[in-house]
Amino acid sequence: MIEDLILKLKKEIIEELNVENMTPEEMDAEAPLFGEGLGLDSIDALELVVLLDKNYGIKIQASKEGPKIFRSVKTIAEYILEHQKK
Amino acid sequence: MKFTLIYPKWKKLRGQTEFHLPPHGPVVFAATLPRDVEITFIDENLETIDFNHQADCIGISMMLTNQVKRGWEIADEYRRRGMKVICGGIATMLHAEETSLHADAIFLGEAEGRMEQVLDDFRNNRLRKVYDYRTDFPPIASVGTARRDILKRQLYNYKGIQMVDLFHASRGCRFDCYPCCMSFVGGREFRPRPFEKVVEELTAIDNNRLYIVDNSLSQDRVWEKQLFREMIPLKKKWCCHPIEDHDEVLDLAAQAGAWFVYQAIFDTSDFIRNRVKRYHDFGIGVEGTILLGLDRHTEDHIRRLIDFLLEIELDLAEFTVLTPFPYTRAFADLQGEGRILSYNWNDYTCDKVVFQPKHMTPERLQQLYDEAWKIFYREKPQPYRMFELFKRVIDKEMADGSFQRQRRTRANRKFGQSEI
Repeated sequence: MIEDLILKLKKEIIEELNVENMTPEEMDAEAPLFGEGLGLDSIDALELVVLLDKNYGIKIQASKEGPKIFRSVKTIAEYILEHQKK
Repeated sequence: MKFTLIYPKWKKLRGQTEFHLPPHGPVVFAATLPRDVEITFIDENLETIDFNHQADCIGISMMLTNQVKRGWEIADEYRRRGMKVICGGIATMLHAEETSLHADAIFLGEAEGRMEQVLDDFRNNRLRKVYDYRTDFPPIASVGTARRDILKRQLYNYKGIQMVDLFHASRGCRFDCYPCCMSFVGGREFRPRPFEKVVEELTAIDNNRLYIVDNSLSQDRVWEKQLFREMIPLKKKWCCHPIEDHDEVLDLAAQAGAWFVYQAIFDTSDFIRNRVKRYHDFGIGVEGTILLGLDRHTEDHIRRLIDFLLEIELDLAEFTVLTPFPYTRAFADLQGEGRILSYNWNDYTCDKVVFQPKHMTPERLQQLYDEAWKIFYREKPQPYRMFELFKRVIDKEMADGSFQRQRRTRANRKFGQSEI
């Protein structure tokens, strides 16, 4: 289940954030999103918030929780699953 | 007359995310040129200079000490090709003698009302080596709306997000801070621009997000409050240097669109803790500017300072190393004590140790400086903190209906790339 969601998220991130020269298979689900890792920037983070709201109905507030959720594709997937269970 | 105005490239802080703001000095200077002068502006940080282009006169505008050596190279190259070069700007003032070796003329001071004469001298081949107006400030009301039309605005757009435009509402600074040269450059008398000029210029800026670059807004409470009152209807969102810690002032600033403040954090006192908290209480973010290497800074002090920054929940931190810029008290002290290790102005980037610290070796201070960035951004990476700050402005814009969605066609662009 989580594997399917991770793959879906990877595809959405590549598409919505215009990540160049990377396939879902090449994207490490546990790599840090920012800096070394996937190298996303602040504008990408904003796009991610919009993506999660639009595609999953999840509203992420800039809070202490944020960096934990946005640590990697896997942590986002875990958050979505946990949130959708509630 | 064709006038090419050049802003030489300079090295950014290596710990900081790369960004490029439209420079302010050149557009303010451009407003002092007669309207029949055809201006071509080149920001070398984002463009390549074509030394073969046609121009009658070359102007080189330099703000920073670490721009001057590149500025001199550019001036030398143009002069080798037989063109006349005039240098100006803050860094020209700080390095006047050396700069005059590379230019046909240097202009020191504020240019309003003076350029007709300079250009007349140029046309009649009687350009003076030095135009020195350092202590002769023009009437502040003569400062006109900056010529932002000379900018190639798409260069300052990142993934569809237009960078802030720079603006100033006053000149001069009544403070004389230890590492700062502004009292030498603009004098210690606070000189606010007339409000009608301020509003006229703000209204003309095609950007909802600004950086108000005045040295400090905390110069005169009556003025500060009136400035914010004038700004409220404009619905701009802006960052700036310190705002006075006063209930009514902070409230008016928030209403006028204060987004975040660039605040010096110089110790671990309750004064600083409270200062940051007060901004936050009024919904204003804080980017701390943290200067390392002062004579009271032991290794232990620096470590405690970094922990303190995390404790007080600064939104962003920009670390710099004390750098003895000419005409500062820091320069006078360190030079007097024989502690300046480098006069290579390219090293004056604020992220390199160019002097002998009091309590440690230069190498150790350099290590602590590099560690400071890493420790502060370990839990919350810089892009994430920037996102939080960015979200703050979007929330404010959403609340007052001034939000404009980015153009998706530009989403993949980086700084300096031509429009897709």
